[in-house]
Amino acid sequence: MILAPAVFVTLLTVGAPALAHHVGAYVPKDNAVTTNFKQVKFSVQAAKFDVALRLFETGPLRAEMRTHAASLPPGLEEGTRAALAGGDGPEVERRLMIFFAALSRDLALEADRQIARVDTTADIRVDIGRKFLEAIWRYYNLVDFAVATRDNKASVAVRLAFDEAETYVKPATGGTAPADPTGLRKPLQRIAQVLSTLIESSSTPSSSTPPRRNS
Amino acid sequence: MTESDAPTWRVPPRWVLLVAVLSIVAAEVGGGAMARFKVELTRWARDGMLARPSVHGLVGVRDVDERILDEALVKFDAGLRLFHMHAEGMGLVIIATSTVAATVIGNAAARRTIIALLTTGGAGYPVGYLAWSALIPSYGLERSKTIAEWLVWVPFGTATIVALWCLAGFVAWSMISRRGARPAG
Repeated sequence: MILAPAVFVTLLTVGAPALAHHVGAYVPKDNAVTTNFKQVKFSVQAAKFDVALRLFETGPLRAEMRTHAASLPPGLEEGTRAALAGGDGPEVERRLMIFFAALSRDLALEADRQIARVDTTADIRVDIGRKFLEAIWRYYNLVDFAVATRDNKASVAVRLAFDEAETYVKPATGGTAPADPTGLRKPLQRIAQVLSTLIESSSTPSSSTPPRRNS
Repeated sequence: MTESDAPTWRVPPRWVLLVAVLSIVAAEVGGGAMARFKVELTRWARDGMLARPSVHGLVGVRDVDERILDEALVKFDAGLRLFHMHAEGMGLVIIATSTVAATVIGNAAARRTIIALLTTGGAGYPVGYLAWSALIPSYGLERSKTIAEWLVWVPFGTATIVALWCLAGFVAWSMISRRGARPAG
């Protein structure tokens, strides 16, 4: 009579250690800026411009635009606000695309600067490069579709450069070359250059996509 | 076999029960403290990480560093939760398995050894999660995990696993010997 529960308890606990010793998994979350961007974007897509304007005016997206004003095309923040107030969806999208392209470009430039430093080991520079690439992609990925619809070549160029950069930060496996921080600089520079050109060419509304304003 | 000869459950030694109950109490206190002092604990861990940027690979750019800090804080919190969960569960495991060992294992030396391994291993293993969490701000995610692994998880986890397999062997042996002793027909 005693053996049956004894067997049950023993089998139950012998199996348990196989499931133990896990330390959890981390799923990267949106930061305040990307969360606010999504809120504004979805409100615009739903044609709720009053909601989008309120979210923009009170959210961290606008604050971030002000913080980065020096590296952004002049009047980006006021223009975005005016486009939201005027119910001009394509113009809002264009301006937000420029903003995130500028954030990605600045990160690529900073990554290139830090990777060029010679006072750290190659492993540390590769690790820095990997972290910067994650941050660049987190921002660029938000506007890649908008970039592709306006300048498909720029979108492809950024993605190709990004793919190339990733090959330099992947950990070495059997038979492959070790991660290379110096090789990473070229694709990063290309990302920065393509995005700079994109920002410049997109800073005036295109004649093919005239801004629509409620009258 | 008469009713008086029927085998009965034997209670494990008192110190074993005390350790098991203390483990459960520590789990409850840990869980409560985790909820009550969540902000303070997070602030302490964050300040500790910001004080050691090179340990955590911080690069001085908020867009990059926030992600690193967020991951470390999520793991810090996970360590505390896992301590709470494992200490609670292992307390019950100690009681259940040491009761089986006290009942099934006839040899006194083997019984004492297995109960000691089950108790120390079961009570010590969850502390590894607490140690991991506490070490994250000072040593980073990977190094703190390695320290916790080699100082706590591996020795105490091994003790528990070895003891459980020995216990499984004793239970199996007990079943076989009873079947063999049963009169034919």
